[in-house]
Amino acid sequence: MSITLPGGFEDLQPFADRWALATEYERAAERRRSSPADIKAFYDVGLRCLPQILKRADQYPLGQISGVDSSLFHLALSLAEVAPHVEFYDCDPRVPFAFREERLVGVHCGTAD
Amino acid sequence: MNARLKPSFLSRYPELGTEPLPVYPYLASDYYQKEIASIFRQDWLCVGRIEEIPKPGDYKVKRLDFAHTSVILIRGKDGAIGAFHNVCRHRGNKVVTETGREETYGSNKAAVITCRFHGWTYDAKGALVGVPQEERFPPCFKRADNSLVPIHVDTWSGFICINLAEKPRMQLSEFLGGLKDHLDGYPFGSMPDVHTYYAHLNCNWKIGMDAFGEAYHVPTIHAGSFPGLTDYWQDDVAFYGDHRSIAFFAADMNPPTPVGSAANSIFGASIALARTEPFPLPKTVNPTRHKNWGFEQSTMFPNFLIHVGEGLWFTHQFWPISENKCLWEGKYFLKAPKTNSEHWAQRYAVTLQRNAWLEDTATMEDTHDALMSGAVKQINLQDDEIMLRHAFNAINRRVRALDEEAKGAHA
Repeated sequence: MSITLPGGFEDLQPFADRWALATEYERAAERRRSSPADIKAFYDVGLRCLPQILKRADQYPLGQISGVDSSLFHLALSLAEVAPHVEFYDCDPRVPFAFREERLVGVHCGTAD
Repeated sequence: MNARLKPSFLSRYPELGTEPLPVYPYLASDYYQKEIASIFRQDWLCVGRIEEIPKPGDYKVKRLDFAHTSVILIRGKDGAIGAFHNVCRHRGNKVVTETGREETYGSNKAAVITCRFHGWTYDAKGALVGVPQEERFPPCFKRADNSLVPIHVDTWSGFICINLAEKPRMQLSEFLGGLKDHLDGYPFGSMPDVHTYYAHLNCNWKIGMDAFGEAYHVPTIHAGSFPGLTDYWQDDVAFYGDHRSIAFFAADMNPPTPVGSAANSIFGASIALARTEPFPLPKTVNPTRHKNWGFEQSTMFPNFLIHVGEGLWFTHQFWPISENKCLWEGKYFLKAPKTNSEHWAQRYAVTLQRNAWLEDTATMEDTHDALMSGAVKQINLQDDEIMLRHAFNAINRRVRALDEEAKGAHA
């Protein structure tokens, strides 16, 4: 296990290596690789931890989260990535009835994150 | 049946006709060539935002496949934006090497650009200011004769627009006409954070435009991402020459969900979730200040859809590549976040919107493919698809005028 989360986030630890990903491209790819059960399991724990993660994130200036809190924030972004799939698409790992996602290129404020 | 759907826009605009539209313009190579000649090479086209090149020396290169060129947009030391074909006057190499993406960005403190091939250097006015071993060129070679080839450029509300014609038929403000008056004052520049998605599609560019040009598809296509938007209607139809606008209203937003509500409580950035902060719209946008107004879609003819909402705006643009290929670019603009949690909330909204766009783009290649069968010769439009009918008329008028010109030339 390469990514260690801060104390208090032990429940999220099992998801850290898979979901603490820095870019949308990686987060979406991980979501597509996952099973519906994987997505639901991560979503349930992620949702529970979300308020604490955002609270810690806001102790840093915008875009300057560092160290273990950076991994935590990436987990929150992965939660945002999978949330529509749990909340709207019945845990389908892909967007149902959609254009092939792999053909879409995303660029955010000049970066891929 | 949705009781709020407005009756008969078509009866208000009888000049647009009510008959089915022909399939031919979506498929035919000759029609496509005429569109390029009579519209894309003649009209003003939006190619960027001023915020993309904020400082002197900042530049952007935008590919325009339909014209087999790419355009350099560069801000000079005087703040003015110049536009040039990205073609070196030495032996025609691209002055700025493109990164492979549709849009390439760069910056140079001296506000010059240098061709990587042999080091020819141009300033932001396009003047050739540096030629290595210049003395080895023959006496007939003159720097002054070898500036970058300029392209007409102007801006409107922060949109950078170019015109490829040698002599544009009219200035940008005249071209925009009433559309300019309609949208002037919308605070585009206060929401500069842009989230871009693009894809190359195997379909005619108008099929893409059409798919985004009506809300009839919302209850079916967006049943996944926008399940709350089924009770919708459209209104505030307006035409400004070849440009057009229509507003989208919804009785309900998406149902509250745990993550959706968490994001929305931090930063209202989704078109499918209610936004409560007051927002300054121009007088003519949502003129009745209807509480169910969601956003308005304006089309800057020929290929640019500008959607303005409260606290967010987004655009779609379809760039023709051939009669059966196009580039789609979707851009979602938000106010810069102040905190990391706002950044997170915005990313949730953008992700949901991305998914909705994946739903939108799902039909386009299928539509083109199916029309290619030749099984149907006409398509049928309902009232809420009046923008498509207006687009067909505007495009067809140009193509027919070109036909008439050609006839006249042969007479």
